[in-house]
Amino acid sequence: KGPNLNSSCRRLCTGRACQGYCSKCWRERSPRQQPRPELTWHLTRRLITSSSRLKSGAVSGITFSKFEEKKSSEKGRRVSTVRKLFASKIGSKRGSLEHTERMMDNVEKFIMTRLYCSVFCPDDSEDEQQDLVLQRRIRSLHWVTLQLLQVPLTERSEVTEHLDSAITAIIEVDAKRAPQDKLACVSRCSRHIFSGLRVSSQEPAAADDFLSSLIYVVLKANPPRLQSNIQYIVRFCHPKRLMTGEAGYYFTNLCCAVAFIEKLDGPSLNLTHEEFAEYMHGRGKAAAPKPERPLPDGAGPGVRRMHRNLQLLAELSARQERILRNARELESELLEWTRSVREEVEETIRKFPLHIKRAG
Amino acid sequence: LCLPLVSMAVPGRTYCYKVVLLGEGCVGKTSLLLRYCENKYNEKHITTLQASFLTKRLNISGKRVNLAIWDTAGQERFHALGPIYYRDSNGAILVYDITDEDSFQKVKNWVKELRKMLGSEICLCIVGNKTDLEKNRTVSVEEAEVYAESVGAKHFHTSAKLNQGIEELFLDLCKKMLAVSQAEEAARGTDPSRVGNARRGIQIIDDEEPQPLSNAGCCPPSS
Repeated sequence: KGPNLNSSCRRLCTGRACQGYCSKCWRERSPRQQPRPELTWHLTRRLITSSSRLKSGAVSGITFSKFEEKKSSEKGRRVSTVRKLFASKIGSKRGSLEHTERMMDNVEKFIMTRLYCSVFCPDDSEDEQQDLVLQRRIRSLHWVTLQLLQVPLTERSEVTEHLDSAITAIIEVDAKRAPQDKLACVSRCSRHIFSGLRVSSQEPAAADDFLSSLIYVVLKANPPRLQSNIQYIVRFCHPKRLMTGEAGYYFTNLCCAVAFIEKLDGPSLNLTHEEFAEYMHGRGKAAAPKPERPLPDGAGPGVRRMHRNLQLLAELSARQERILRNARELESELLEWTRSVREEVEETIRKFPLHIKRAG
Repeated sequence: LCLPLVSMAVPGRTYCYKVVLLGEGCVGKTSLLLRYCENKYNEKHITTLQASFLTKRLNISGKRVNLAIWDTAGQERFHALGPIYYRDSNGAILVYDITDEDSFQKVKNWVKELRKMLGSEICLCIVGNKTDLEKNRTVSVEEAEVYAESVGAKHFHTSAKLNQGIEELFLDLCKKMLAVSQAEEAARGTDPSRVGNARRGIQIIDDEEPQPLSNAGCCPPSS
């Protein structure tokens, strides 16, 4: 792109010699004055690079209107190409709404995939911070069980399978780029939950059952960068799809689940505040016997692995705590030791002051 | 540079409405919904996987309406999540059980909340469900109707079991929502630049200045 001199000429040159005007206006203003040699050289170089970039060999003299012309014609060409492309497609099939929607979807998908790196969890937002907070929160709630959440799911193998699929789907959200792909993962997760509920209760699931199951799934999955993903979908998904469709309903429930987890306290699980605090500190009733609890028959390999991992993590955290405690002891011992040595030395010096007598 | 939605094109447009279903746990929201969308009640052979999000297409005096009905979690522990559910909804159906005074109190709370958050834009319907249990009624008809009128809502008596009053309820709500959208359209109609831009959301406007015709205006005029 050539330098846009018309709008930024005041900024282009701040030297005193040209009083802030671009070279063209400067020359018009004071034709007798010679432009400074290094300025000319600088500008010429700039022109050559930009003109070669534009692949235009015909720069007759130093005029900038050519660039403007080039730029606007280029822009016009692009706009008309896109317009032609879509007008012919949309115009000819005005009746088929689905076709148009699908095309819009693809355009949206394409744009968002290309922009993903710069707009997902941008540096200047607090998304990342919130991700970490939520992740830590979910980790500290590892002890919440189906019973505590009053989820009407049984622990049959068929149900566990559906739950495993739901967990996989919600984790996959982070791997997708386009907002509608992310949304599709949320929907897939929700459908697995509904299938699981169907197996458990034989009735169409109501919102209460669905939401509590979804909360359970989110707690067990601890999906990576969940908050960032939610924010990204809110910001960039088509509002119509987000607010009215089935996917929008599932997404709203996901937002509800996250809000619930963030605010989760004792009463919402039918626990007293003390019980809740105990669970949070890993001293609760469920926390201790959990690793030894025999797994339900036919628990999937994923569940088994998760149990093993949980056990390992619990051990690891215990060991880490021990190390920290010991390290702190060691530190205080060391400090005590230095202090005592110093005291002893000072004491000795005081008792037996050293007087060096000059020989002779 | 906003991508216009073709479905919003004016002549043959379809009106899409989001309706939330609010009510305590056991007031029969799910039965109400299933009766309306599937015409089924407590049957063994219900094929739908879920009764939390259902859609219904209607044609009201030549206008196509797509209803998306959102069931909401009504248990007390989920109460704080209400605003997330009913954000951007066009209508709300508040259900109580005529044999349960508490559920009616809950409805009152929701009405207050809805009016606070969404103002008068949202169409409200208050529904006393389970009229088949008339003999156990604890919420008086008069009290309910007077209350509904005082908050600008319409009151209905329904029974999902006997399939009473449900069709009327949804039809009336749709008519009310249509009236609201038409009033909105009429208000917008005075401003021709905004016709057809009925969607909420972000609109990006190209704010580039018009291109100067010549080099005039590039720098302040020399004096």
